[in-house]
Amino acid sequence: MSSWIPLWLHKLGSPPTFYRFAGKLRPWMLALAIVLGMIALYGGLVLAPPDYQQGDDYRIIFVHVPSAWMGLFIYGVMAVSAFIALVWRIKLAEVVAMESAPIGAAFTLITLVTGSLWGVRMWGTWWTWDARLTSELVLLFLYLGVIGLYHAFEDRRQGARAAAFLALIGIINVPIVHFSVNWWNTLHQGSTVRLFGPSTMSGSMIWPLLTMMVATKCYYAFSLCSRVRADLLALESGKDWVRQIAAEESAR
Amino acid sequence: MSQAPLGRACAAVLRRDLTLAWRRRGDIAMPVLYALIVTTLFPFALGPENALLQRIAGGAVLVTVLLAMLLALDGMFRSDIEDGSLEQLVLAPQPLALMLGMKILAHWLTTALPLIVIAPMLASMLQLPSTVIPVLLLALALATPMLSLLGAVLVALTAGTRRSGMLLALMLLPLCVPVVIFAAGALAAAQQGLPWIAPIAWLGAALALALVLAPLGCAAALRIALDA
Repeated sequence: MSSWIPLWLHKLGSPPTFYRFAGKLRPWMLALAIVLGMIALYGGLVLAPPDYQQGDDYRIIFVHVPSAWMGLFIYGVMAVSAFIALVWRIKLAEVVAMESAPIGAAFTLITLVTGSLWGVRMWGTWWTWDARLTSELVLLFLYLGVIGLYHAFEDRRQGARAAAFLALIGIINVPIVHFSVNWWNTLHQGSTVRLFGPSTMSGSMIWPLLTMMVATKCYYAFSLCSRVRADLLALESGKDWVRQIAAEESAR
Repeated sequence: MSQAPLGRACAAVLRRDLTLAWRRRGDIAMPVLYALIVTTLFPFALGPENALLQRIAGGAVLVTVLLAMLLALDGMFRSDIEDGSLEQLVLAPQPLALMLGMKILAHWLTTALPLIVIAPMLASMLQLPSTVIPVLLLALALATPMLSLLGAVLVALTAGTRRSGMLLALMLLPLCVPVVIFAAGALAAAQQGLPWIAPIAWLGAALALALVLAPLGCAAALRIALDA
């Protein structure tokens, strides 16, 4: 009974199987992301009460905080698949790592932009050299470095391996930057949502936030599936299964 | 095939790189000249008030030295890749990490050491108090090897690419943020008469770590980039 899971995972590592699996998963993830995103936005923008101090301005949190979580989460996914790609040389892991990077960079950029929009209302400035902001900016540079290095190579697999190595160096660097910057300067508020112990946030505000978090995760899954599918077709363009798909597509 | 003993192989790599650098002495002077020019520009841009210059002197010298090193970093392995001697080094029976460590040492001696020598002059041009200069030298002595080691890993990663100058800067920035923060922290503390040993100790600890890990990382990166 329990042996089919490793076997299934093993099979999933092969490009044609993953291509079909991602094709099935993709529309569900998009639908889930849209529905949950709508619910979360309704809950956050309409149902949740205004903050006693920030008024309605705080509502940008429902975009800002889930994006920030996704920025870090995607870096984690990228680093894990980069590790898998370097150690076991699985082609799919390389593709997943490299296609995660632009999505993660986009979420990090959204975090920075919404953060500065929030900052201009609350702190009266677009940008300040605060610890959180600076480490978020450094995270964006890490993403851009990985993307840049990947595209600098002519051979895509070689580029993917080099960029995977850089992503691993980056993940060692992330806590170092985080703590060094924390010592240096701080203005951003602390965390209010806690995994362990009670959160310091009202329940009517927290449920749209968590729903949005699930919605962004679904969107990431959708986006990753689409990108990986396209990339696999390009990477395996000479193979039989790609020719078969091309023939099926042109027959339609 | 008889192997050269490890010590002799290391000395040979070091001597070769230093000889090559010495034959092209003009290249050694370039980063120094660059640092001098950048430092000269600060008073023009900010105005020649001593109090203002004094406040920014430590950080300005640090950043200038860092940029000058970045300028030279690009060429660390370039000529060796072009003439194929780096591939010979990869194939050599001696551990690649150690050989690359020697190359990094040679690179540090030829680019960072002249910058450290000239740093007191740059600092006094910006009116840094002379009591802070020993701290500046100590911070640079710890920070520049860090940058050489970290930079070497990234240069090795970009070894297989055509255009790497701007990319290198983009990749190095996240890595050098902590180095700059701690080095500048030590300088700021010394300037205010506070104890400055803690950030220096952090830099030293980071250097010890990088000294062990960076050559290994550099070797791994080079194998990926050359696809050996």
